Amino acid sequence: MESLGFLVGVILPPITLVVLVGGLLYRVRYWWKLPTPKLTLFPAPEPGPDHLVGVLKATFFFPGLFKSDRTLWLFAWGFHAMLALILLGHLRVVTDFPRLWAALGINADTMSAGIGGTAGILILLTAALLLFRRFRIPRVREITQAGDYIALFLLLAIILSGNAMRFLGHFELAQTREYFANLMLLKAPLPPQKPWFLLHFLLGQTLFLYLPFSKILHFGGIFFTQAALQRR
Amino acid sequence: MEASIVQKEREVVLKEVTGIKNGPALLEMALEICARCGTCAQVCPVYNGDPQSRYNPVLRTDRIRSLYHRQTSFSGKWLGSLVGAKDYQIGEIQEWAETFYECTGCRRCARYCPMGLDHSVVTRKARAILNQLGLTPKRLRDVIDISLKTGNTDGATPEAFLDVVQFLHSEMKEETGLDIPIPVDKVGAEVFFVPPSGDVLVNPDAIMGIAKVFYVLGTDWTMSSHMFDGANYGLFTGDDAAMKADNLNYINEAKRLGCKVLMMGECGHAHRVMKFIMEKANWWGKLPFEITNVMEFTAEMIRQGRIKLDPSQNPQPVTYHDPCNFARSCGIIEEPRVLLQAACQDFREMTPNGAENWCCGGGGGLSAMDTILDFRMNVSGRKKLEQVRATGAKFLATACSNCKRQLTQLMEYHKEDVVVGGVHDMISHALVIPGASQPAKAGSSAVH
Repeated sequence: MESLGFLVGVILPPITLVVLVGGLLYRVRYWWKLPTPKLTLFPAPEPGPDHLVGVLKATFFFPGLFKSDRTLWLFAWGFHAMLALILLGHLRVVTDFPRLWAALGINADTMSAGIGGTAGILILLTAALLLFRRFRIPRVREITQAGDYIALFLLLAIILSGNAMRFLGHFELAQTREYFANLMLLKAPLPPQKPWFLLHFLLGQTLFLYLPFSKILHFGGIFFTQAALQRR
Repeated sequence: MEASIVQKEREVVLKEVTGIKNGPALLEMALEICARCGTCAQVCPVYNGDPQSRYNPVLRTDRIRSLYHRQTSFSGKWLGSLVGAKDYQIGEIQEWAETFYECTGCRRCARYCPMGLDHSVVTRKARAILNQLGLTPKRLRDVIDISLKTGNTDGATPEAFLDVVQFLHSEMKEETGLDIPIPVDKVGAEVFFVPPSGDVLVNPDAIMGIAKVFYVLGTDWTMSSHMFDGANYGLFTGDDAAMKADNLNYINEAKRLGCKVLMMGECGHAHRVMKFIMEKANWWGKLPFEITNVMEFTAEMIRQGRIKLDPSQNPQPVTYHDPCNFARSCGIIEEPRVLLQAACQDFREMTPNGAENWCCGGGGGLSAMDTILDFRMNVSGRKKLEQVRATGAKFLATACSNCKRQLTQLMEYHKEDVVVGGVHDMISHALVIPGASQPAKAGSSAVH
């Protein structure tokens, strides 16, 4: 377990960080610089507040999907909303904000157990439904490639291992906070030697490594397409 | 096939596909960030007409996407089919020639795609590659050649045009007892009106409607005897050079006539090329005239109460088909409805409508191709047929010559008792003209 811990907790994180940040910056910078012809694709507001609102609305609420396929909208929006919530919640794995909680009068542990636990179940459900949909509906099945299944299975494995950490036994956040604090100081600390944590951390990093090269990066590109599409 | 031709095809395809790496943005991103969710298939008129994988828009676009990934991306080079990357197969281009002319370019997919991707952009790129290889369908190539040579897509001579004008003039005289002019080649006229040639030669009721509106308002307008067709098929075949050359002929004519307004007629793609492509991209510098559409003009006149209509002249149930280029690409949605609601007693919307309306099945130039008539009648037009049937309308108005041709064939093919015509056809019947000897006759378009 110690050597696995060394690999996942000491060797891998800097590589993941470089690949993820470098890859994202490269792709976004590249998209940013792509020439966009001045012709109009859809009549839309002039650049300005209305235009920005249109782009943000399309990016965060998927209105086209809402109109055309309500079921998919429910799965997809539910999945992405839970994902955002969970990513936000992961901040507490790395550090904590006791003053914020005190100011808000919240017991953070109870809150994250409630909201985080529910989000963990809901994201598992929506991801499973998205996968089921890929098998079930002909027009989706026939366009599904190996890469689509890989992404979904990877996500499901991450979700399952994360939920296992939360629901199968107690997990001590103090350990991870100490680990990440030392990691950021480049002290090469060993991560907590918990099997579910190591598995979850390994899978998570695998996703981050794969992300800049895969279609999962649609979350970065959508701003550009919506901005170009909704332009006058 | 000769080896050298095959080799050349491969070279051109790979060079063009690799070249997408430098944009334009929407084309490249359509190849890079598709989430493969299937929404486009759900809203595609072709796939809905016959849900087989051949018509799935994602798989059509994959023809280019798979090559693009293989050629340009790290994952495509190293992971190959795992990420959907493929090598060019010899002879594949022959399949492209069919499949990329089974997309109507209606852009309904772009309306709904959660990523904001537009298959029509990919289709047009594929057609541009086909065009380079001389594989554009013969009918469309001929239309472009004729248009560049004669100024109109029907190849009609100025003499034939003048004959039609003469005929329409005497028709209106007989109907109203008035001299309602259709001015031709009048230098210095304020408005230069450019219809699609189909409205001159096949469905001239719309032209009479417009001439009557201008007569009532006393507008100083003209048409051109050798530039009377806004249609521009380079938009459909991906032939940018032809599209520009054709467009320039009209810009030059508008300048020669010295008009202040270039008014496009009931033709969606013609209006789109002028207003949203040429003018936006500033092809020819600053223009000495403004570009507008006749439906915007007439709608404004109705709103201001400057023309009066008598809806009892159009008692039959009327519905409106939104041409893709007017509704989705130009946002001209309200205007035709203002016209039809004022001119008809029983105007009925089809569902869905406006920017969400289904394509007639003949978009992207397909309407002109009789080689794929079966496909247009039984696959791409199927949704439209259901929509029209559900309204119970007896007159199907639309504002596009290509839609009119497709819809007329669709109604005949499926033995529907529905007359297809223009929006200004209804205006022609219902317009109250001071001094006219008798009210315009209802339904006179049915005999044309």
